[in-house]
Amino acid sequence: MLVVPAPAKPAPAVEAVALRKNFGEIRAVDGIDMSLPPGRIYGLLGPNGSGKTTLIRLLAGLASPTSGRARVLGVDMPSRQNLARIGYMTQSDGIYPELSVWENLSFFAALYGLTNKAELRTVLELVELDKRTGTPAIQLSGGMRRRLSMACALAHHPQVLFLDEPTVGVDPALRIQFWDHFHRLAADGATLLVSSHVMDEADRCDELLFIRDGLVLAQGAPKELRKRAGTDNLETAFLSFASTSAADATAASPEGAAR
Amino acid sequence: MNPLRVAAVVRRIVAQFRRDPRSLALLFGAPIAIIALLGWVLSSQQTNTVRVAVVNETTGQVGQSLVVKLQSSLEGQPSIVVDRSVADDSTARQMLKDKKLDLVVILPPDFSLQNRKIELLTLGLNPTAEASTLPVVQQALIRAVADSAVGATLPTIERATIYGSPNATTLDSLAPVVVGFFVYFFVFILTGISFLRERLGGTLERLLATPVTRAEIVLGYSLGFGIFATLQVTLVLAFVLARLEIPALGPVPAFAIGLGVRTAGSPLIAYVLVLVLALGAVSLGIFLSTFARSELQILEFIPLVIVPQACSAASSGRSTSCLRCSSRSPDCCRSPTPSTVCAR
Repeated sequence: MLVVPAPAKPAPAVEAVALRKNFGEIRAVDGIDMSLPPGRIYGLLGPNGSGKTTLIRLLAGLASPTSGRARVLGVDMPSRQNLARIGYMTQSDGIYPELSVWENLSFFAALYGLTNKAELRTVLELVELDKRTGTPAIQLSGGMRRRLSMACALAHHPQVLFLDEPTVGVDPALRIQFWDHFHRLAADGATLLVSSHVMDEADRCDELLFIRDGLVLAQGAPKELRKRAGTDNLETAFLSFASTSAADATAASPEGAAR
Repeated sequence: MNPLRVAAVVRRIVAQFRRDPRSLALLFGAPIAIIALLGWVLSSQQTNTVRVAVVNETTGQVGQSLVVKLQSSLEGQPSIVVDRSVADDSTARQMLKDKKLDLVVILPPDFSLQNRKIELLTLGLNPTAEASTLPVVQQALIRAVADSAVGATLPTIERATIYGSPNATTLDSLAPVVVGFFVYFFVFILTGISFLRERLGGTLERLLATPVTRAEIVLGYSLGFGIFATLQVTLVLAFVLARLEIPALGPVPAFAIGLGVRTAGSPLIAYVLVLVLALGAVSLGIFLSTFARSELQILEFIPLVIVPQACSAASSGRSTSCLRCSSRSPDCCRSPTPSTVCAR
């Protein structure tokens, strides 16, 4: 039983229609259909090489699909105009190591036409880097760099936010803060698509998409997916969906299962 | 020392090379290409024939007879071709500029038995090569003077050049090459690696996720690096062209900053040229960084990009004109190579 949006619901914030992306022989995204209503947090869950990052890159307009459509806020991607309404936090930090915290943030903000210093300061307070504004990024700890990277993705108040493994290297206390903030953003109407393989994080999403071999295995609220798989454990749930869907079911488990 | 482990390292290196066709091409293809280029450039500079004209500016009999003797004496030398068609000073100068002549011997209007001065005019672009032709001319001069009315004493020889100055050093002629080469080299390396780091560090990915266009990025890069390229060009040119003498001050001995290289043309034109070269290097750096996956691979581009660049600069003075009839068209010559004397 898939979650089908009722006709009365608002237009989807993120949409994929028979979305495919091939790299030579490799079918990274192999015909994904999805329709994600706004104001919620969606979790992308899947093993390494399952196509999560490619899917996010297609939706964020960084790659053109081989076939099918990727739509964000009703606009076909890639669309440069639309990028102003989208935030994207890459898997790598994507910040300039020589530049200070403030210089990094103000550079990315300027690309979105944002020059309000007070507003940028608020963003830095949010990621608890407001006392480090002059520190070169190279001197920050891994977690701090992640927070700076997050600040750069949030500064322009995007309506749709793609976060590729945002909490890798972030300590548990701050991770909780991150998620609290994600929920605040969603409550304000933003749509978040978060890729992750940490299971307790998956539980904090409003809805999960299990990805494997470039396909969506299952989609639904964490609770519901557990119920459908007849297990209390999301990992086991993932594996059960994987084995029922794939004919050549080689057991693949989400990375981090062993952690 | 465990041979198995050594063999494992060897195998790994061979395997890595096989996966890296770029390095393989560099290892085998680049040396051949570069040596071929160098060979072409260097062999083209080997002019073993010196094309000489003798210009008589005097009106007297003494000068006329000396010119005739000089011409036949010069023609006796194996490596010298005398162009007898050149009559006056301005034609000779023009032919030097057109590289139809290598050397002009001028008997100035005030040449007489009392005032024995002969002028040797060269182009002044290649001091070393030009200096090497002088002994041959001097020998011919000695012989011509010996059986002429001028007398036993040798006339003084004054050297003059069209560009630069007659006592130009190798540095004077090499300075433009060095300036151009190093400005180009460092700007290319800097831009290439900087843009590559943008790609490797994930910041380019992030940039492309913002509304910024690719053209804006490239233009921003060109302007940003252009600022530093401009500063670099200014500093390098100032150092090469200017010479600042610092007088002795207490225990500090006197010294000079800068090379003080003499220029034949306008330093401003040189400035603009080097600047354009540097901005070209910015674009090339950005372009080639897209083919590199690591800093090492940017360095691998050096021999492939920079050396041919240097060679093409060195070969720009290559002459292809026919020696005797001075025609630029090789068709006039029956001989296989245009740089020999034609059958006309």
